Amino acid sequence: MLNRDVVIEVRNLSVSRSGVLVLKDANFDVLKGDYVGIVGPNGGGKTTLLLAILGQIPRMSGSIRLFGKDIMDFDEWERVAFVPQDAINFDVNFPLSVRELVSLGKLGRNKIGRKLGRRDWDEVYAALEFMGLSEVADRRIGELSGGQKQRMFVAMALVRNPEVIILDEPVAGIDAVTQERFYQKMSDLNQKRGITIMMASHDLSAVFCRMSKVICVNKEVNVAEIRPDVDLEGVLRKAYGEHFHFVFHRHECEGEFKA
Amino acid sequence: MMELLYPSVSLMELVSYQFFQNAILGGLTAGFACAWIGLFLVLRKEAMIVDGVAHTAFGGVALGLLMGIDPFITALGISTVSVLGISHMKRKGLAESDSAIALMLAIGFSTGLIIISIAGGFSVDLFSYLFGSILTISRSDLLMILMLGISIIAFLTVLHKELLAITFDERGARMMGIPVNAISTMFNLIVAITITLSIKIIGVILVVALIVIPALTALQLRVSFAKTVASTILIGLVSVVVGIIISTFYNVATSGVIVFTMVVIYLATAALVRGRNV
Repeated sequence: MLNRDVVIEVRNLSVSRSGVLVLKDANFDVLKGDYVGIVGPNGGGKTTLLLAILGQIPRMSGSIRLFGKDIMDFDEWERVAFVPQDAINFDVNFPLSVRELVSLGKLGRNKIGRKLGRRDWDEVYAALEFMGLSEVADRRIGELSGGQKQRMFVAMALVRNPEVIILDEPVAGIDAVTQERFYQKMSDLNQKRGITIMMASHDLSAVFCRMSKVICVNKEVNVAEIRPDVDLEGVLRKAYGEHFHFVFHRHECEGEFKA
Repeated sequence: MMELLYPSVSLMELVSYQFFQNAILGGLTAGFACAWIGLFLVLRKEAMIVDGVAHTAFGGVALGLLMGIDPFITALGISTVSVLGISHMKRKGLAESDSAIALMLAIGFSTGLIIISIAGGFSVDLFSYLFGSILTISRSDLLMILMLGISIIAFLTVLHKELLAITFDERGARMMGIPVNAISTMFNLIVAITITLSIKIIGVILVVALIVIPALTALQLRVSFAKTVASTILIGLVSVVVGIIISTFYNVATSGVIVFTMVVIYLATAALVRGRNV
């Protein structure tokens, strides 16, 4: 464990929004190659935690370091990709093809005004293929299904060649089969490409079957490694309350559970 | 009854006249720049900014004519202040976009009217800025239009992907490290320049049409962004050329015919798209 790099370091982080304390004294590390699920009740602070890590909302106290750099000084945003919760709620009449949208992922602070070259487009097509979107590459973005839209935004994130992908409830409102396919793709990204993934989700089974670490957020933040010897129910109770019962059948994971 | 201005002149002969060449070149440049800028403005839901800034620029024209300065310079100055003012009010939450535009329009146009009455009423010059005078643009006007037009087109060519990303999702663009504020400010300045150079061509009242209608027409086609940009520009160029030719032959107001041509293309496209979807 010691030889793995710390990608995100959060220490004594408290955040308040509109005068209300939303996160209290959070402490955790995300290591390179981690696949982290962020769970907790609605309004518990999952999105706030992600936005704070991304430097999008001010902190009340504490520190956040990305790749060893304080968030205030961090400027290597090409290493981090974010897919927000409301990404798929765009104007469906916006005149963009799937291919064009994904190619926008190639833009960045060091590439202002640069034309996309052949290699850039090759990467765009590779990301589309990886996310299973090659056949709809020339369709308008508004014509895609919810699941395809989500995969399109992940493809857009992938062309940036990020080291970390942060997703906020990416499968909300998508049917179970499509959700499962999406989780499979994210597992592939994590295991085959070594991309660190942090994902807010309400799907506890998916988190416990596929991910390596869970962060429970309900104002207080509790972190646990997902291993058979860890009392996950106890961790979840801290976020969801003492009356919470989590029925988890390990066979549901069909061998995905990492012991 | 419309009467033919050049009943015995063929199109080929017309093309050899310098006033006609100036009009076509100036019109094509303004049409190209306006259409492309217009697509971004329509997608940003800021189309009416054009109307507000154009009317404010009218105050600038009146000021220039009163002071004996080139009205283009004063109009450009006032348009720039106006577009930055609207953007500032929006960003600081001082007013909604439409209220900010209405406020700027009122300030600019009322100032213009006061200046006009001080100067002793409307002159022919002032009328030409209200309704456009593409057939009377001089070589020096043309040179100015070409220079600014090419700068606008160069800006859009270089930064159009960044502008697209900002237009689609400003927060996302910011997080990707795109300098959103700097590019948005540059875009606003380009909008001010585009409006000012188009006033000479089509006039204060109708400049909004030159900017908005080609984009609205192309958006009905529901194609990719690259094809939408190409269609928008093509519609702008065709309308300008058709408008200039018809208005020259029939001696009717050029700006009116250009906009009327755009409206006809818009309606024809709407009918075709509807027919295709039924």
